[in-house]
Amino acid sequence: MSSEVFAVFDELLRSPRAIAARCRAAGDLRPLFVASLSALVLGAGVFGATLATSRGGLQLLYSGVKLPLALVVTMLLVVPAFHAIAAGLGRSLSFSGMIGLTLAAAGRGALLLVALSPLVWLSFDRGLTYHPGVLLAAACYALAGLAALDLVLKGVGFDARGFVIVGLFAGVLLATGGQTAWMLRPFLGRPSAPSVPFLRQRESSFWDAVQQSSLSSVGVYRVTRALSTAEGRTPSPPGPSLESASESR
Amino acid sequence: MEESFPTIASACQSSLAARLNAPDTRGATQELVRLAAGLGLAALYGLALGARSGGVGLLQHALGASAGLAAVGVLGMPALFVLLSLVNAPVSPSAMLSAGARSLASAGFVLAGLAPSAALLAVTIESPDAAAFVARAGLALAGGIGLFQLLSSVRAMLLELPSEARLKCYGLLFGFSVFAIMLAARVWYALPILKGAA
Repeated sequence: MSSEVFAVFDELLRSPRAIAARCRAAGDLRPLFVASLSALVLGAGVFGATLATSRGGLQLLYSGVKLPLALVVTMLLVVPAFHAIAAGLGRSLSFSGMIGLTLAAAGRGALLLVALSPLVWLSFDRGLTYHPGVLLAAACYALAGLAALDLVLKGVGFDARGFVIVGLFAGVLLATGGQTAWMLRPFLGRPSAPSVPFLRQRESSFWDAVQQSSLSSVGVYRVTRALSTAEGRTPSPPGPSLESASESR
Repeated sequence: MEESFPTIASACQSSLAARLNAPDTRGATQELVRLAAGLGLAALYGLALGARSGGVGLLQHALGASAGLAAVGVLGMPALFVLLSLVNAPVSPSAMLSAGARSLASAGFVLAGLAPSAALLAVTIESPDAAAFVARAGLALAGGIGLFQLLSSVRAMLLELPSEARLKCYGLLFGFSVFAIMLAARVWYALPILKGAA
């Protein structure tokens, strides 16, 4: 079993097509499950801890635990949607094959995150500040996501219908994964924060933050509730303030 | 490298997805069971949305999510059958029932698949607008896939037709699609979450 698991690790990186074929055949997928889950937990754990080197201390442990947790919870939530979308569009795999494909994709992405971890660590070590650090992390997630979606695409078929299925699945994944990660913030931790919380207080949502950031990027800033109250202005509707949105990753 | 993808027919016949989406035409009772299963699965998505408000909201959303699909099945499918018959399309009541049941079951299955994500998002998103957007997106996705299934099934019945008659049928199908979207949206917009309920 262990030799099979190591062989799958290798396949995850080198032969996504073989992994995809294995999931479609839906034979004995246990080695794939074990290898993918291990890669997911290890890879996301290492990357999470690396992100936290900007803050250090307890944040290293918290982020090393929370990032794998966010990924595993997201996978659990989105697999049924992926299965249903693929079946609805005529690319039905067995449910175990779907779980294998999704886990393998997440594991592949996590292995890429491990590979990117030294670069991220070096960047923080050389003085990369908080906000550029957030952007660097986002770029790493995007790269890992592309590697993962490549495997998923090979699983459902590299054609127009496959692209539609993967596109729809990516939308569900983005919304669900974004919100899950949002609830488990912070991952970087601000250097100026006096203490390290395991979770931030519930505040707004990932969606609101994206909306707020989009508005801010075109020069439209909402007035924060605290500021507006202090200055006697009408508070904005519920949603993250510019300050809180930027602090919350 | 030659790749082969399992079709619905070749997929494991005992799986729920395969049974709901199987292209074969069955007896009326079995088709109605398939239809009912689809509506029941759609109710799961409604329950997930209803978790935002809880209580009676659970029931309201569960019924509402299924009602949108049921409305298309009850009001739209017979009308489509009559209109296609008027232009001499080779459609039979049993084939239309099968196509309708399969498409609604497919939409219900997608809604059920989206339910876990929808529950997380509906419960944790604070903004009513964002929650409504998420709910709408799920309904649109499932409705779109259901409509795609229906159009594929009906188009397969029209392959033997001369091109002029087929063109008329495609026009009718386009009109039906617009009607089905408007009808489902009309029913689904009664859901409290889409009306901005916190």
